[in-house]
Amino acid sequence: MNNAQQTARVGLFFLLGLALTWVTWETLSGGKLFREKGYNLIAGFDSIKEVKTGDEVRMAGVKIGSVETTRLAHGRAEAVLRIDTGIVVKSDATATIAMAGLIGTNYISIDLGSANAPALADNAEIRTRVTPDINTIMAELGNLGQKLEGALGSFGAAMNGDGKPGGGLFQKLDRLVTDNSEKINTTLTNLQEVSAKLNRGEGTLGKLINDPSLHDQLLATVGDIRTAASDAKTFMANASSIVDQVKSGKGPLGTLVYDDKAAADLKSTVANLKSVSDKLASGQGTLGKLINDDTMYNSAQATLKKADRALDGLGDSGPITAVGIVANSLF
Amino acid sequence: MKQLTAILEGIGSTLQLLARSAAHVGTLPRQRARFIEQCYLIGYTTLPIVAILSFFIGSVLALQAGYSMQNFGAKQFIGSLVGLSLARELGPVMVAILVAGRVGSAIAAELASMKVYQEVDALETMNIPPARILVLPRLAAILFMMPVLAIIADLVGWFGGALVSNYVNFIGIDSEAYFAALRRYMHFKDVMNGLIKAEIFGFVVVLVCCNIGLNTRGGPREIGASVTRAVVTSLILILVLDYFVTKALL
Amino acid sequence: MPSCSPTRNPFTAEETPAVAVSFEGLSKSFGDHVVLKDITFNVEPGEIFVLMGPSGSGKSVLLKHIVGLEAPTSGRVLLDGHDAADEEVRAQIRIGLVFQAGALFNSLTVYDNLALYLREHRLSTEPKIREKVMHALKILSLENTAAKFPSELSGGMKKRVAIARALVMEPQLLLYDEPTSELDPVMSATISEIIAALKDEYHVTSIVVSHDRDLARSIADRVGILMDGKLMHLGPPSTLQNPSDPRLKDFLNPKIDLKNPRFKKLET
Repeated sequence: MNNAQQTARVGLFFLLGLALTWVTWETLSGGKLFREKGYNLIAGFDSIKEVKTGDEVRMAGVKIGSVETTRLAHGRAEAVLRIDTGIVVKSDATATIAMAGLIGTNYISIDLGSANAPALADNAEIRTRVTPDINTIMAELGNLGQKLEGALGSFGAAMNGDGKPGGGLFQKLDRLVTDNSEKINTTLTNLQEVSAKLNRGEGTLGKLINDPSLHDQLLATVGDIRTAASDAKTFMANASSIVDQVKSGKGPLGTLVYDDKAAADLKSTVANLKSVSDKLASGQGTLGKLINDDTMYNSAQATLKKADRALDGLGDSGPITAVGIVANSLF
Repeated sequence: MKQLTAILEGIGSTLQLLARSAAHVGTLPRQRARFIEQCYLIGYTTLPIVAILSFFIGSVLALQAGYSMQNFGAKQFIGSLVGLSLARELGPVMVAILVAGRVGSAIAAELASMKVYQEVDALETMNIPPARILVLPRLAAILFMMPVLAIIADLVGWFGGALVSNYVNFIGIDSEAYFAALRRYMHFKDVMNGLIKAEIFGFVVVLVCCNIGLNTRGGPREIGASVTRAVVTSLILILVLDYFVTKALL
Repeated sequence: MPSCSPTRNPFTAEETPAVAVSFEGLSKSFGDHVVLKDITFNVEPGEIFVLMGPSGSGKSVLLKHIVGLEAPTSGRVLLDGHDAADEEVRAQIRIGLVFQAGALFNSLTVYDNLALYLREHRLSTEPKIREKVMHALKILSLENTAAKFPSELSGGMKKRVAIARALVMEPQLLLYDEPTSELDPVMSATISEIIAALKDEYHVTSIVVSHDRDLARSIADRVGILMDGKLMHLGPPSTLQNPSDPRLKDFLNPKIDLKNPRFKKLET
């Protein structure tokens, strides 16, 4: 092969390489050779986020073009959108940056706009709106956390004062009390008045406390108690006659008393009784509490009516129980 | 230890050779004929094998991608996958390996035999630096031919992938969709990236093979040993450099 | 006696003083292996100096020092009083080296082999180069080989092309490394005649490394014998007739002794 032929082949080969590189460049970089038909819209954003050249432009979810290029211009980020021929974008349509998934892929979403608005022309500017993306949401969450922390911190500071002018909550309270002692006094006086009224039976509460009928009932009850006591006297007289009989050893009770064994039994029973009454006095046990607990006093008052009813039915339930209840209630 | 010294010596002598060749860059216009000859041997004659191999690599890539992607309906991305892998990785690496095997071995064999048969010594007694007429034209030729080979490999590979995607039944992606996907996720930057890689690989392969050839000592037997060493060293360097160059270019 | 007339350029008939070569305490070792030990001698301008010695005695290594392919371990080689290790010196004094196997560029034709030096150093225009190359080929009767590749040539022709290639450099000093090895006796004699003819015609200083006794006896002005890295003998060829040293005697007139073969005595 001669030199000229070799040179020619090498030259041709090199030119082929250049041509192929150019074709590739035209194809991939959106050169004019294979440029898709359509028209451009310009969308300005504060940040175009993840949007890059070649990303889809969708209208109501339908692909209508792609992002031709992204650039910084007029102090903002601009995405030049290549819209397919035949697609009409209304002038009041809004472009937003939407996420196709949680990670990565974004696209430009354009809404339909209103039907009677005019269409946008080539190289017109489309309205845009900022939508939060996952990053902003995360950032907001972060901010929220920071605010919470700050709030808790200042709360603590407020409580303790931290030497700030005005002082903490407690200091403020203190000052509040000192400054308003007069008012507080008045309040207390009022309170006294209220309680006096209560005493006088004025108002609902007063009546409840000072109800004369209740008093009458009480008096009646005490009368009943007296009657009961006289009944008891008779009973005791009867009992003494029985005791006499017992002393004389008559009847089964007499045997019981004058029998030594029975006497011992009786003694221990009395001792038991004594310990029971001791316990009652010291407030031990359920009954003791019932008797000695001051709170029961109030309940007892409320129970007075019931007690009254109980007294009415003394004949049925036996006098001693009712008297015990009334006596304990009174003292 | 001895191995380490040998490696360091290899790196050192290669860099020296580069410096000595670079010192004669001014003589390149006068060496036009030699440059053209080397371009012819390195580029033109390597074209057929590059074309055949890249065609089938592109086809196999499309086939494998189609097979594995049909299960989760990502077949429409075959174009992007084949395009990107060929342009960024397989194209340059494959061309570099072919150049190492076809051109590097030839360079190493030629220079080794010139060294063994004292032709290199003869040049030196004539005050003609071997770096000037043996190394420089080859380095210049590979710089001009490598991008051409790489872009051809890319395009032929893409075409192979397109054919397979179109005509293999279970893939059935027509060429238009294939190239649309390829265009969608690719930029010229990716192709450029691959061309830069190819350029670096090719240059290193030729330089290393020249150095190993010129450092041959002994008899004719050593020529074979030099060729083997040149090709093995080239292949290792291609893959090691691939990592670092890719990382640097990301 | 060595000729003292100036070297004549084979192409322009221009005359330049012949170059003298002197070795001053030259030693060379490769690692632990000592090849040359303290070599000191002079080569007079315009003479044919034949350096003889058994294989591996360091003759070729000595030659390589003159052209700077090897650097001395100690001592130095002087070309007209300038250190041969200096590239500047070698650029000024044109030295042609004829390699043992010719060392022709196999990828180039005979013509291009000869033209390479002239072209690379941009010494003349292409028509002048053609004239010069053809003249050099004519001197060695090689006009018909110009378009051939070295692989198409016989051994003797390759040697002649190698000499022609050295001649194109218009050398002031011609070095021959084993010019007659691997050649048949007739071809050896031819090469010897060429060396002598070049010297007679152009008065170029020639150093011939060889173990060809016929060549040494017939064309040498002086002969040096190198053995085990040392210069054992130095003098005109007539002094080779009756050497005193037994080793020299054995080297110059080896008797083939079948009853007591030498190889049985060789050290391993």
